[in-house]
Amino acid sequence: MAERILTTHVGSLIRPPQLVEYIEAIEKGLKVDMKAFDALLQQSVNEVVKRQEQAGIDIVSDGEFGKFRSWSFYVLDRLDGIEEREIEVPAGAGKDRTLFPEFYAEYFPTQRLPKRGTVVTVGPVKYKGQAALRKDIEIFKNALKGANVEGFLPVVAPASAAPRFKNEYYKNEEEALFGFAEALREEYKTIVDSGLYVQIDDAFLPYMYDVAFAGTDLENYRKWAAVRIDALNHAIEGLPEEKIRYHICWGSFNTPHVSDVALKDIVDLVLRVKAGAYCIEMGNPRHEHEWRVWEKVKLPAGRKLVPGVISHSTNVVEHPELVAERLVRVAKLVGRENVMGGTDCGFAQAPHVRRVHPSIMWAKLESLAEGARIASRELWGRKAA
Amino acid sequence: MPAPANRILTTHVGSLVRPDDLLAFIAKQQEGKPYDVAAYESCLQRSVADVVKKQVDVGIGIVSDGEYGKSISWSRYILDRLSGFEERRDKTPGFRSAVAGKDRRDFAEFYEEYEGTYGFVGMGKAFKTGTWVVTGPIKYTGHALIQRDIEDVKRAVAGSGAIDAFLPLVAPASVVPQRIDEHYKWEDDALFAIAEAVREEYKAVVDAGLIAQIDDAFLASVYDVMVPPRTLADYREWAEVRIEALNHALKGIPQDRTRYHICWGSWNGPHTNDVPLKDIVDLVLRVNVGGYSLEMANPRHEHEWRVWETVKLPQGKYLLPGLVSHATNIVEHPELVAERIVRLAKLVGRENVVASTDCGFAQGPFARRVHPQIMWAKLRALADGACIATKQLWN
Repeated sequence: MAERILTTHVGSLIRPPQLVEYIEAIEKGLKVDMKAFDALLQQSVNEVVKRQEQAGIDIVSDGEFGKFRSWSFYVLDRLDGIEEREIEVPAGAGKDRTLFPEFYAEYFPTQRLPKRGTVVTVGPVKYKGQAALRKDIEIFKNALKGANVEGFLPVVAPASAAPRFKNEYYKNEEEALFGFAEALREEYKTIVDSGLYVQIDDAFLPYMYDVAFAGTDLENYRKWAAVRIDALNHAIEGLPEEKIRYHICWGSFNTPHVSDVALKDIVDLVLRVKAGAYCIEMGNPRHEHEWRVWEKVKLPAGRKLVPGVISHSTNVVEHPELVAERLVRVAKLVGRENVMGGTDCGFAQAPHVRRVHPSIMWAKLESLAEGARIASRELWGRKAA
Repeated sequence: MPAPANRILTTHVGSLVRPDDLLAFIAKQQEGKPYDVAAYESCLQRSVADVVKKQVDVGIGIVSDGEYGKSISWSRYILDRLSGFEERRDKTPGFRSAVAGKDRRDFAEFYEEYEGTYGFVGMGKAFKTGTWVVTGPIKYTGHALIQRDIEDVKRAVAGSGAIDAFLPLVAPASVVPQRIDEHYKWEDDALFAIAEAVREEYKAVVDAGLIAQIDDAFLASVYDVMVPPRTLADYREWAEVRIEALNHALKGIPQDRTRYHICWGSWNGPHTNDVPLKDIVDLVLRVNVGGYSLEMANPRHEHEWRVWETVKLPQGKYLLPGLVSHATNIVEHPELVAERIVRLAKLVGRENVVASTDCGFAQGPFARRVHPQIMWAKLRALADGACIATKQLWN
């Protein structure tokens, strides 16, 4: 085992402009030279893998370059048995939004929110994205050839694939969620079987507390979340834990986040997920203090913690000494061998999204790697590899 | 210290987002258009009263006037209050070169985009300033303006429940550092003339019973402009003389009614070439004031609380750590604010810490680092965090 803190991140990275042009054209239904797109995609993934290695990231992603729509909505094109309809499903207020209405009125128009209809289950949910997934895997594995890094592919969790949906097929909501889970299992299993790590992204799990439970109804929210965690465990049953990472966050918008559910109120649910590693925000000022949760909560044996020690919600680049401090204090609680350096969230949750300027994204990832080196020296002394 | 130390007091760096009706007057002023002076003065008075009340409501103990009475910016307002300067709107680089450093070179594309949206160094699209030229002896002429600012804030504070009040004022080093001098023979002559002039402002504020906060963002941020190609030693030499000038300005002014603020420039940029605090802390502590206001909330400087593990805060001095940052919309969790206070208090003494912000929220009338709703939420988080820290430190 490496005697140092390894580094990774949450997955999505800013796409090159030319790739975004292609993706937008395809999404608009325009006729596109798909061979040229595939070649550009391969070249872009090659470059982004190389750039991550240069920045000092040990476990790299494909940047989510192959995904359309967004980190979660891409999967709707890969599922059978659902329809997207232009109807409204009853929506909670979203407490943060009601507390800062004028801010949100200014902020949201500056963001291009990915569009989608309401997901409706109309038949048995089945996975039909084999070809698209195999292409993602193949392109990523080609790019990894000869690189001195490992690879992870981020995909969506059942709860986040359809955070709110209308059920017209299954007996009840729970059965529908398990239907989603069984379909998504194919995606997870295919990735693990290919030798890559699979990262299961579940931003909606914490985020829905604010959106659907008004940031107040903890008891009902926990019930809502528990069944989704059960569904996720059903999806990954029998898959090797050490190849699975689970990412939660509270939504990556640069907004106040004052009614985010506290980690301490959900950490037991999170740890129920049979994953080898948990990627959790600790780099932004709403969740930074939650490293102390690990003073009381024991990380189960064999599991790893990947704290976000870099935030995408400021242009200020984290000082490597701060990165080291954040890693060392967590390592002292859960064991240095159980910590990896990570980011709070991705830098581009959809093809056109850019949480910071790309030059700042790379400076932040370099700072992450430098901070991990400092932390390794502090934790292992001179023999740090 | 400004009050009995049985709890963590709260304050901030001074500038707050201006209300729209006040901005309308300031815009006219700056464009040289006619406006109703009496209506402006009463709008200003009302705005200062409101902003003091709001600060008290969210739990800020030592309040400011929001810098509502200042024109142009936190530093250039002084040009309305000094003789000897002339503004030229020509093609000379002016202000731009004052901040054109390594960060700007390393992240050129980012800066181009950022300033396209938020204006030069994020000062707002309406921010304009020319090149300032010294053409005669520099003297303080702002007596009426500073008296008005003093009266406005004192009137607002009376009966408001505020513990104390401060007015932010510019340090000699931060008075248009990129000026062209056609009058003084040596740069230092101009610097010390400025020091003598601004002393009148400091003195007026302290004599009126208010705290004078001396703002010196240029002191720390000029490093990025000078180094490289020049060295840390060169920069320190540049800084030392400016600290001497500031101490000259502070001569005879009681230390317990003054505080000194430095920062590394408040635009939301990478800041990767900021001078480390450890390399300048000895110079900062040479300034003859009671309190030192330093950034400790943003991720480039958060780790620098550890500087106080090795540096001793001199007897009778206190720190005003920045605990909330204006460089993100995310509102700091009060528990995080408390953690930041407590770890610092354990190093320098709980009675020597006053909770504060990294910098102001509006360095000029048209700047707005975050939406005002978020600014107020951050100040409330600061106050809530100070309460939690007080319980932990005095239980």
